[in-house]
Amino acid sequence: MFFRKYGDFVVGIFYAVLGVALIIGAKALPKSKVMEIGPDFMPTLIGVIILILAGILLVETASRFKAQKTELETSGYKDTSDYKRVLGSLAAATVYVNILKPVGFIISTLVYLLIQIYILAPDQSRTKKDIITYVIIDVVFTVVVYLLFRYGFKIVLPAGIFAIQ
Amino acid sequence: MNALAQLGAAVVTVCQPVSLLFMIAGVAIGIVFGSIPGLSASMAVALMLPLTFTMDSSLGMNVLVAVYIGGISGGLISAILLNMPGTASSIATTFDGYPMAQKGEAMRALGIGIVFSFLGSLFSFFVLSFFAPMLADVALKFTPVENFGICFFALTMVAILSSGNMVKGLLAGLFGLVFCFVGMAPIDGTPRFTFGNQDLLAGFNQLTTLIGIFAVADILISAEEMNAKGVQTIPVTKVKGFGFSMKEFISWMPGAVRSAIIGTGIGILPGIGGSTSGMLSYVTAKNMSRHPETFGQGEPEGIVATECANNATIGGAMIPLLVLGIPGDGVTAMMLGGFLIHGLSAGPLLFVKNADVVYGIFAACMVCDLIMLLVEWTCIKAFVQVLKVPKHILMPLILVLCAVGAYATNNRVFDVQSIIVFGVVGYVYHKFRLPTTPFVLCFLVGSMTETYLRRGIMSYKSFGAFFSHPIFDFFWFIACGVLIWSVYKEVVATKKKKLEARAAA
Repeated sequence: MFFRKYGDFVVGIFYAVLGVALIIGAKALPKSKVMEIGPDFMPTLIGVIILILAGILLVETASRFKAQKTELETSGYKDTSDYKRVLGSLAAATVYVNILKPVGFIISTLVYLLIQIYILAPDQSRTKKDIITYVIIDVVFTVVVYLLFRYGFKIVLPAGIFAIQ
Repeated sequence: MNALAQLGAAVVTVCQPVSLLFMIAGVAIGIVFGSIPGLSASMAVALMLPLTFTMDSSLGMNVLVAVYIGGISGGLISAILLNMPGTASSIATTFDGYPMAQKGEAMRALGIGIVFSFLGSLFSFFVLSFFAPMLADVALKFTPVENFGICFFALTMVAILSSGNMVKGLLAGLFGLVFCFVGMAPIDGTPRFTFGNQDLLAGFNQLTTLIGIFAVADILISAEEMNAKGVQTIPVTKVKGFGFSMKEFISWMPGAVRSAIIGTGIGILPGIGGSTSGMLSYVTAKNMSRHPETFGQGEPEGIVATECANNATIGGAMIPLLVLGIPGDGVTAMMLGGFLIHGLSAGPLLFVKNADVVYGIFAACMVCDLIMLLVEWTCIKAFVQVLKVPKHILMPLILVLCAVGAYATNNRVFDVQSIIVFGVVGYVYHKFRLPTTPFVLCFLVGSMTETYLRRGIMSYKSFGAFFSHPIFDFFWFIACGVLIWSVYKEVVATKKKKLEARAAA
C-alpha cells in the first residue's frame, strides 16, 4: 500500500536530495586548470538535471495525489508481498558475500546455499525429505563449481580456512 | 571478384577435418565461457592462446577465432534462461528473452536468438571481407568528438525508452550516470565520490552491476511470491526447428538488416562495443515498431534486434583490428596478440602482404559462425533442462554462480559485494516502479560519454569547435530532435489523459 500511495513522493524526494548532494559533492572537487571543464563538470550538470526532474515529479505527483488516493481505495489493492522471504534472502546473501573471502568459497557456499534454499522454499516443501534433497544438491553443486573453476578455468576461488591444493 | 575467389579458396582450406574438429571444440569452449557471467570471451581467448602455440599458424588462428565467436554468442543462453547476462553485450537480450522464457517460450527464444546471432555475424563478416580497407578509413575519421556525438545520441535514447512515464524514466536513467562518476575521473584521474574507499577508486565494474541489477534483483523479487505460488517450475513448450515460421522470419528481416548495420557500424569504431550496439539497436527497433508496447513483455523482435547487432559488432570490430592494428576492447586486443604470435602483421599493408592469411581468418570466421549455429541448436534441448529445476532451488544456485562470476572478473571480493548493492537497487526500482532499462543504458554509456567529451575539449579547446565536425553535427542534431520530439509527444499524451480523466469524472 505504502509503495503505491507514496511511492512517487519518496522517489521525488530521494532524487532531489541526490541532486543536491551531487552538486555539493562536485563543488568539493578540484577545478581543472588546463581545460574549460574539469572533473566537477559532469556531476554538477547531472545534479542540476536530476534536481529539476525531481521537482517536476514532485509537483506532478502532488497535483494528482487526491485522484490517485481515491482510485487506490476503490480498487481494493492489497500488498501480498512476502517480505519475510525477501529480507531473509537479502540478509543471507549479504552475509555470504562478506564471509566469502575470510571463510573460503567451499564452506561459505555450503552453508549459504542450504540456508538460502530453505528460506525461499514454499512452506509445503520444507519437509525432512526435501531438506535431504537440498543438502545433496548443495554439496554436489558447490564441489562441482569449485573444481570446474579451479581446474577447468584456472581461477582460484577464495580458499579461506579450508583449501584443496 | 578477386576477393570472392580468395575467400572461396580459403574456405576450402579451413574446412579440413582436423581443423574443423578443433574449431568445434573451440566454439564449444567459447560458449561455456560466454554463458557464465564473469568468464568472458577475452578470458577464453587468453586461456586458449598458449594451447595454440604448438599448432601451425593457420590452425592456431582458426581456433582463436572459434573461441572468440563462441564466447560472444554464448551470452544469450544465460540471458534468456536465467535473466543473467553472460556478457555485457547480451544485456538487452534479457529484456525480451527472459519474459519469453517465463511464458514457456524458452526454446523459441533461444532458437530466434541463435539464428539471428548467426545472421548478424555473417552479415558483418561479408562486410569485413569486401569493404574492410574502405571502412577502416572511415574509422580513422572518428575523433573523440564524433564518439561523443554517438554517446550523446545513445543517452537521448533513454527518453524514447521511458515514454509513457518520462520523468521517472529519465530519473531512473540518471541514477545510472551517478554510479559512473564513482571512481577516478577520466583524463586527470581525480578520485570522485569514493569516500576514501580504496576499492571504489576503480569504479563499479560493468558486468557485476548488470548481474546485480538483473539476476540478484530477480531473486529478491521472486522471493516475494515464492510461498504464495507454491513449488514453481517454468514450463517449456517444445518447438520444431528453430521455433518460428518462414512468414515470421521474413517479417523480422528488415529489422534484422537494420540491426546488423547498426552493429557493424558501431563495431568499426574502436572502444564503443557490443553492449552499446545491442542497446541502441533494441531501442531503435522499439521506436520503429508498430507495437512498441509489446517490447519488454517478450517480443521476438527485441531478441532479433539485439542479437543481430551484438554479433554483427564482431565483424565490425575486426575491421580496425586487422586493417589498422587497433583493438577496440579487451577481447580484440587479445586476438591481436594471438594473430601477431601466429605471424600476421596487422596494418595498412595487410591486404598486400598477407592476403592469404587474412582471407583465411575471414573464412574461419564464417565457418565458425556456422559451427556456432549448429552446436547451439543441437544443445537447445539440453540448455532448457535448467528450467526444470524448481525456482526456489534454481535461484540460490544462480546467485552463487553470479558471486563466483563477479569474483572471477577481477579477483576482488569487492565486486561480489557490489552485486548485492545493485541487487538492492534493482529491487527498490521494482518496488517504486522505476524502469531498469534506462539505468543500464546510462550506466553503460555514461563513462564513455564523459571521457570523449573531455578528450574532445582537450584537443579542440572549446565545445563550440565540436560543431565544425559534420559527423558530430549529424548525431547531435538528430539526438536533440529525438529529445524534443519525445518530450512533445509525452506532454500531448499527458494532456489527453487528463482530459479523459476529467470526462470520465
